[in-house]
Amino acid sequence: MSVSKTRVAVAALILLVVLLIVLSTYERPFRWSLPDGLPLPVVPADNPMSVVKVDLGRRLFHDGRLSINGATSCASCHRQELAFTDGLARSAGATGELHPRGSMSLVNVAYASRLTWANHLLDRLETQALTPMFGEDPVEMGMSGRESTITALLRSDPDYRVAFPRAFPGDEDPYSILNTVRAISAFVRTIVSFDSAYDRYLRGDTVALTVGQVAGMQLFFSERLECFHCHGGLNFTDSSTHANAAVESVGFHNTGLYNIDGAGGYPAGNAGLRELTGDRWDTGRFRAPTLRNIAITAPYMHDGSIEDLPSVIDHYARGGRNIAEGPYAGDGARNPYKSEFLRGFALSKEERSNLLAFLESLTDRSVLRNEALSDPGSGTAIARSDREHPLFAVK
Amino acid sequence: MRRTRSRPGLIPRITALTVPVCVALASCGAPQQAIEIPFSVQFGAEPISCSMAAADLRLSDMRLFVYDFHLTSASGEEVALTLDDRPPWQGGQVALLDFEDGTGTCRNGSAATNAGVQARVAAGNYTGLRFRIGVPEVLNHADPLQALAPLNHTAMHWHWLTGYKFLRAGIARAGIDNESATFWLHLGSTRCSGSASDPGGCRHSNRPEISLPEFVPEETVVVIDLAPLAAVTGLHDGISADCSSGPTEASCERPFAIFGLDFASGDAIGTPDLIRVTKLE
Repeated sequence: MSVSKTRVAVAALILLVVLLIVLSTYERPFRWSLPDGLPLPVVPADNPMSVVKVDLGRRLFHDGRLSINGATSCASCHRQELAFTDGLARSAGATGELHPRGSMSLVNVAYASRLTWANHLLDRLETQALTPMFGEDPVEMGMSGRESTITALLRSDPDYRVAFPRAFPGDEDPYSILNTVRAISAFVRTIVSFDSAYDRYLRGDTVALTVGQVAGMQLFFSERLECFHCHGGLNFTDSSTHANAAVESVGFHNTGLYNIDGAGGYPAGNAGLRELTGDRWDTGRFRAPTLRNIAITAPYMHDGSIEDLPSVIDHYARGGRNIAEGPYAGDGARNPYKSEFLRGFALSKEERSNLLAFLESLTDRSVLRNEALSDPGSGTAIARSDREHPLFAVK
Repeated sequence: MRRTRSRPGLIPRITALTVPVCVALASCGAPQQAIEIPFSVQFGAEPISCSMAAADLRLSDMRLFVYDFHLTSASGEEVALTLDDRPPWQGGQVALLDFEDGTGTCRNGSAATNAGVQARVAAGNYTGLRFRIGVPEVLNHADPLQALAPLNHTAMHWHWLTGYKFLRAGIARAGIDNESATFWLHLGSTRCSGSASDPGGCRHSNRPEISLPEFVPEETVVVIDLAPLAAVTGLHDGISADCSSGPTEASCERPFAIFGLDFASGDAIGTPDLIRVTKLE
């Protein structure tokens, strides 16, 4: 081989190596892939989305080692097959302590203007994630004061050792609680669902809904039933926002579930927004949850006190719940703090079943099965990010 | 009470520190002196800790933030103290006092403790001390995960209220090993408006203000006496009701009064019954 040929070969080799190095450090940009016409969710400026961060968050979300018993993860109370709820009236934490309230669905939580059942302060997933991890009353994951246990795990786990520096490049010490909640939040924002039969109907698939479901939809959006005032908008809750929203909508409502003392009382320790504001007019006010996938997120209400959807409809039809006896006895329909939209209504048998059928049309099977939202399992090389995700559509 | 910690050489240390502190401070007009404000937790005149009982009671927690320290000069003027930067216990003009050592009834703590505040003040003769329990409003609603010491302990975060626990106290009945025999007090600001992203302040500040005219540097120690607090918890009758500062928690009324707080407004209306000074032994 002549000298010049050798030089060319060496140069080509160097070029190849450089190219490989560049390619290996290239991070695929994150792209939302939403149906046409849907606005993007709000993403905090200090926690931009990235494919590697979302993948890391997926692993953290399913990692039981982030809890005091080594087994309770975010996914323990937010199970994908149940639309990221747990099917329980009240959730149990890592120590077995019962939460006064039930686990809320995380579907489309990126569009929620407020988080949890009754807290006007919580408007960032990054802040909210700290309560299940470190909260003490009740204990959920039980890690208060144990942040060094978590950071030691992040530093020692082979996957995390790769993923944290990649997800947070330029960060002097990427193995932090701050980055942990940022990654989890980024992942949770990808739990997006806009592919129910109802969504397909809206997009022009006129046979996606049955005739009965269409009739049920008309009832749902009628002034007669008033459902949509609190459960309206793209996410079926008035506590919604998005990147193009002119104003952020925030709503909390007393739905007449209780009236313990005849003066509007709710069970102690579960009085809704009043516990934060101290204002009696906030008694029993809770955030309207999304109705997406509502057919599979029983039991219902903040305390799981209504077992199934037909009973929920009966509750609203009556304009409040009457509890005849026991410590919570009282007629919720007469609760003085009740929302003005809880007026009650009468439904024929057919109307009632149509309304139920419409609520069932809000189930999006794809979000319950989407592999990109599932437990990556132990030993999965999470930093590889070569799985298909409907939201990671590569150009 | 017998103090286990002797304090030799404190006065020579002040003299030795005065010169270097002034050299370090470009704007140091008047000479500065170092001040240490020692704290202790007692039950009446008896010591109490996580593993040492007093009147059948033990600590199950005792951590609190303190700030806004002032001494009164000989001419009657109030002079602000500048807290030393002393991580992990002091920074940003806030100090964390920590009396739980992770032993005995203190199940969720850690071994490290901190029983004093170190500061600087213009050289002079002082008596009388004023300070507050809490975290200054300007720091109370910032992202706790990006906060510097001492505001970076998750046990002191109050995430769902987007602020801090100013104080977390636990008193346990000795020998009884269940939660109902422990009284918990978590003190922090409530009735807050705005949101985590856009805090709007809190209607109930709940920051006790402590005024101790008898305080004399080098001669006295600030005592947090849990006896008056334990007396209003009903612990001895087994009917203890915890207080998490909630505006609707009736069980907070009496503990708040012990801290000199008006439960209805969250204002500091007097020096807490449970804080006093005693002679340094």
